[in-house]
Amino acid sequence: MKEQNNIPTGKVERAGKFVTTGLKVGTNYIKHYTRKLMDPSVTKEELHQDNAADIYNTLSNLKGSALKVAQMLSMDKGMLPKAYTEKFAMSQYSAPPLSGPLVVNTFVKTLGKSPTQLFDRFDLHASNAASIGQVHKAVKNGKELAVKIQYPGVANSVKSDLRIVKPFAIRIVGMKEADMDKYFEEIETKLLEETDYKLELERSMALSAACAHIPGLLFPGYYPEYSSERIITMDWLNGMHLKEFLQTNPSQEIRNKIGQALWDFYQFQVHALKQVHADPHPGNFLMQANGTVAIFDFGCVKVIPEDFYTNYFLLVDKEVLKDTDRRHQIYTNLEMIHPTDSPKEVAFFSELFQHMIDLMTLPFTLETFDFGNETYFNEIYAYMDELYNMKEVRESKVARGSSHSLYINRTYFGLYSILSDLKANIITSQHRIQRLVAGEQPE
Amino acid sequence: MDKNSIRNAYKLYLLENGKEPVSVYMLCKKLDMPESSFYEFYSSLEAVEQDIWLSVFEETVSQLRADETYHQYNAQEKLLSFYFLWVSKLRDDRSYFLLQKDIFHIPLVYRKKLHTFKTAFYEFAAALIKEGYVSSEIKERKYVSDQYVHGFWVQALFVLKYWLEDTSVNFELTDAAIEKAVHLSFQLIGTNTLDSILDFGKFLFMKR
Repeated sequence: MKEQNNIPTGKVERAGKFVTTGLKVGTNYIKHYTRKLMDPSVTKEELHQDNAADIYNTLSNLKGSALKVAQMLSMDKGMLPKAYTEKFAMSQYSAPPLSGPLVVNTFVKTLGKSPTQLFDRFDLHASNAASIGQVHKAVKNGKELAVKIQYPGVANSVKSDLRIVKPFAIRIVGMKEADMDKYFEEIETKLLEETDYKLELERSMALSAACAHIPGLLFPGYYPEYSSERIITMDWLNGMHLKEFLQTNPSQEIRNKIGQALWDFYQFQVHALKQVHADPHPGNFLMQANGTVAIFDFGCVKVIPEDFYTNYFLLVDKEVLKDTDRRHQIYTNLEMIHPTDSPKEVAFFSELFQHMIDLMTLPFTLETFDFGNETYFNEIYAYMDELYNMKEVRESKVARGSSHSLYINRTYFGLYSILSDLKANIITSQHRIQRLVAGEQPE
Repeated sequence: MDKNSIRNAYKLYLLENGKEPVSVYMLCKKLDMPESSFYEFYSSLEAVEQDIWLSVFEETVSQLRADETYHQYNAQEKLLSFYFLWVSKLRDDRSYFLLQKDIFHIPLVYRKKLHTFKTAFYEFAAALIKEGYVSSEIKERKYVSDQYVHGFWVQALFVLKYWLEDTSVNFELTDAAIEKAVHLSFQLIGTNTLDSILDFGKFLFMKR
């Protein structure tokens, strides 16, 4: 892999990057239509592939929060053509690394010693890239360690990145700018939190300890003495990322085991700890042949406020939803319906939400659920398409949904998408969740 | 008494008084030593100033050479690690160097302070460039490649100026600036970009 020696941090420079991508994507379209003129059998698939490659190149040059946006986009499969998702999924594990001297400099600056002084062995070439840093392999006292190092000036570039992405996002979603502010605020806070490695280390240690009892999970040990505001050191974990893992053709039993462990992990966090690892993209999990899954990277943790929790999970309760007044009250609390809406709008949107919620919460209402069931996911995607193409939805410029639901929805969506890739058939009953919350071993 | 303590006394004097000592006598008074012994080490106050810049450079280079990993680096990485270490050494006396901002003033008479440091840096850079030829990181070009050292000197002054004006925590932005500047310079002298620029320049010149 070619080493990357610069991150464009200036706003102008970054904006310039986006402009060049725009031009390239434009040329791809021209190329596509010329090719199509000469050979009508050319499919759009190729065009999407070209576009995805160019966009990906730009984003991996930008690093930092732009790469995060790519990761967010790639999570919402279905929303994007297949070629885009494949390329963006790549951004989840690989981006070009920074130079060796800068790595050494970061150690000396924040820990007072060079990596060779601290460790018995330290590999100066990054083994893989995290979205705002890169990971090096080290050995100390015969133990293999993973050392995550953050790029300098990341926090500085988060704000300017978002300011660039914002107009694009507003165009795509088609909302009023003022309405979008609360979401952007939430994203900005979360991204800035992710640049705080001290906080990440604290959370990693606390959450790993709290979830250690859940069967099938593996957490690395952390080393605060080799960590600083720009460095986190933890045990080196072996295993495969989701895609590689699936290529080894694991048995149904193993896939169920991993799926169950992930399901339990998320339910326990949401319902017992009321804070959750909100970054369930495949790059953060390493799967092993025996069916255990290693979890790390607690950079993005969403703390769930109590009143939001109560309202959000009332939506799962079928009894409550039968009462129309109560239902509207909950929708209003979750900012899905606004007091300024006309009765017609209220009726229209609550019906939409009701259908959406029924679809999304289906696994919770059953004893077991087969995430390999493609018709279920196709139904969700089809419904989303339908929503997107509805005139009333497109023309409504009012933002709907509380800013807290942004990361919670993203978490569930990510979890569902991994479980669906695993084709896992797992126990989803309320009873199991209650046992988990009570701290008992699930049977 | 040695050169080091004279340099330290000079720095201290400047920091406490906000201006240079007016004479060798004033400095010696602070050091509590006879003026005549001063001349055993330095010929003038200017020589002390020059030596402060030079000594930081020399300490940086000798510390780099003592480091095992440094020898495994290519030319570009060597230059990077030089700047990183140099800036962190300068940091120990940041207040002093902040008072030296006049080296960036025009006319350039103030830059005489940097004279010995400049000579040493040129030597260091020339050695790196030779290494770059061997590893083919740097392209040798007739007449032009002799000028590379000047370019690196300007780059060193840029890094210095950027760091003096940097207000970011832990001078993080200086780190980023160093990475960018070094990368750009090696791109320029490594690939064909510079050739194209020269060719274009020649073309425009001929048209006149």
